[in-house]
Amino acid sequence: MRSEDARREILSAIRENLKPRGIAPGSAVGSTGSADPGPATEGPQGPRKSFRAARGSKERGDVVSSFTERLAAVGAQCTVVRGEAEAAGALAGILSGAGARRVVGSDAPLVQRLLRPLRDRFEMAALDRLSRDDLFACDVGVTTAQWGIAETGTLVLESARERSRLLSLVPPIHVALLSTRCICESLGDGLAHVRQADSHAITFITGPSRTSDIELTLVVGVHGPQTVHVLLLEDL
Amino acid sequence: MSFDRDARAALADGQLRGALRHATTLFGERRRAAIAEVPDWEGARDRARAIKDETLLHLDRYLEQFAANAERAGAQVHWARDAAQACDIIAGIAARRGARTVVKSKSMASEEIHLNAALAARGIAPVETDLGEYIVQLAGEEPSHIVVPAIHKTKGQIAALFAEKLGMEPSDDVAKLAAAARQALRRRFAEADLGVSGVNFAVAETGTILILENEGNARLTTSLPRTHVALMGIEKVIPRFADLEVFLRLLPRSGTGQALTAYQSLLTGTKRHPADEGPEELHIVLLDNGRSRMLASPVTRQTLACIRCGACLNACPVYRQIGGHAYGSVYPGPIGAVLTPQLLGMGESAELPYASSLCGACRDVCPVKIDIPAVLLHLRAQAVARGGSTGTRALLERLAFASYAAVMARPRLFGWLMACARRLHIVPPLGAWTKWRDLRPLAPRSFRDEWRAGLRHEGGR
Repeated sequence: MRSEDARREILSAIRENLKPRGIAPGSAVGSTGSADPGPATEGPQGPRKSFRAARGSKERGDVVSSFTERLAAVGAQCTVVRGEAEAAGALAGILSGAGARRVVGSDAPLVQRLLRPLRDRFEMAALDRLSRDDLFACDVGVTTAQWGIAETGTLVLESARERSRLLSLVPPIHVALLSTRCICESLGDGLAHVRQADSHAITFITGPSRTSDIELTLVVGVHGPQTVHVLLLEDL
Repeated sequence: MSFDRDARAALADGQLRGALRHATTLFGERRRAAIAEVPDWEGARDRARAIKDETLLHLDRYLEQFAANAERAGAQVHWARDAAQACDIIAGIAARRGARTVVKSKSMASEEIHLNAALAARGIAPVETDLGEYIVQLAGEEPSHIVVPAIHKTKGQIAALFAEKLGMEPSDDVAKLAAAARQALRRRFAEADLGVSGVNFAVAETGTILILENEGNARLTTSLPRTHVALMGIEKVIPRFADLEVFLRLLPRSGTGQALTAYQSLLTGTKRHPADEGPEELHIVLLDNGRSRMLASPVTRQTLACIRCGACLNACPVYRQIGGHAYGSVYPGPIGAVLTPQLLGMGESAELPYASSLCGACRDVCPVKIDIPAVLLHLRAQAVARGGSTGTRALLERLAFASYAAVMARPRLFGWLMACARRLHIVPPLGAWTKWRDLRPLAPRSFRDEWRAGLRHEGGR
């Protein structure tokens, strides 16, 4: 098999070129010798910031407010609500304010609960029978986000938790529900929290889709959503 | 290619130079503002470089680890020794999957291997979906900047292009132009059977690939078609998932001055259940194409630490004047001047290491501290050794530099020679150097004489 040959050739070319010559520039690098630093688990030399969960370092309120500040800075909308009843009302307001007609919600139970009472007011696309054309015709996708990152105003969506990958991308408006309990302080915290092994796709979303490709003029909503609205649910 | 000729053409293009000045200045300012937010920018640079160095020194092992973990998660990993092999692999996947239309998100590696031409030759239509790349492809041109590929085109030119190719009402409104492209490309996304993307980072310990972008076209490319092909240079691998933090902090800030680009897709293998969203197949193509050669020396090896942010382009006084096209290669600017000759071999691009004033601005802004001037000098030495100058010319050059060294090491001899030159009004024959520069005439008295006279004067007071 040719790819197998290529694999052998490339790996042996790498080993050949890494062989110390003259005064050894690098350390003694073997193929899989046991003397050199073991498989990739240790950090590289130099200080590394430890991952801190948001709880316990900064005050929770500070983390939430820096998250909402960053959201505004990257051009995302944010509404803070307390409890599901308030969330349902706010969601209805967002949908009608945007002039939405066709709405598609993810399979997250919270999303289903909040959208159920709105069935009379909006046309709801069914996720299970959603064709590509149906999806392209939706005005709004409603999903949850598994994590928020305060440092950058980022939403984190894990494929293992919810079918949100296309709903958060294709419709011009994305509404994301997020609990304030799930806001991490830093990018490193976010990376430490995601359930990487379970999800074949993890998506970080920071504001709406954007481009500056024509004369460096900012345009939002070029391929993805023009509007990202975060519905932030405070602890009760 | 001829760097000399193309650079002259670029210098004569006033509109291009204006656009370049605007873009490079703006990105430079945004970058400075963005890095000021990071408490320990220098530390982050050092950490990122240490991670890259560690990976490159054990690249064989990290690649094997990455491939094994990606395969365990359901990806199919292919190895390509050179551009032709990579094109064959991707065209083969397209043929096996019956693909007629291929959507592409921005990938420098795919341009390096000239994938579009290879696909088109096999009757498969490649469609670039990044707005800038799409414009450049519609116009039948080449990208001129790593981050903003169509920086050389005005909105008026783009409006005319869209009117002709997309049948759009001519408009100077940039939002309308972007909307027209969105609409045209949605149709292509809907019909595409295969998506081709690049890779920014590949994590060895998990088999994850990460793709950064702002528009969402890479997300569409990697989630809508039934098959996703990710093409990556072998140097893109990093050891640990947690290492992503430092690179995500450095790359967007250095490239566009954003704290984070709008989207990061972290993809690990294929979907786990039939009902899941995403492609059925993920193919990862590992491309060598001259990279393993660069590992041989610590000087050239650092070229492989590059994360393709484009900061060195914006900082480079040469690039700021001539833009990307004059470099005659996929990778322009300072990093292109060191990368291209190493990828393609000196024969094709021996001029490029000279396309620099060695001012060091590129090294200062590089987020992974690549000493680009050192690599440039290394490559210049190679170009000379390979016979850039031969025969009498080489002999004269050696003689000239030997004499120069002998004179500069002997202050009295130097003084005497300069006195002679002053008396005889001799201007040294510097040929090409004086073609574009005026050499100032020698002062009537040397600095040393003035200094001595000054000291005597001081002493006499």
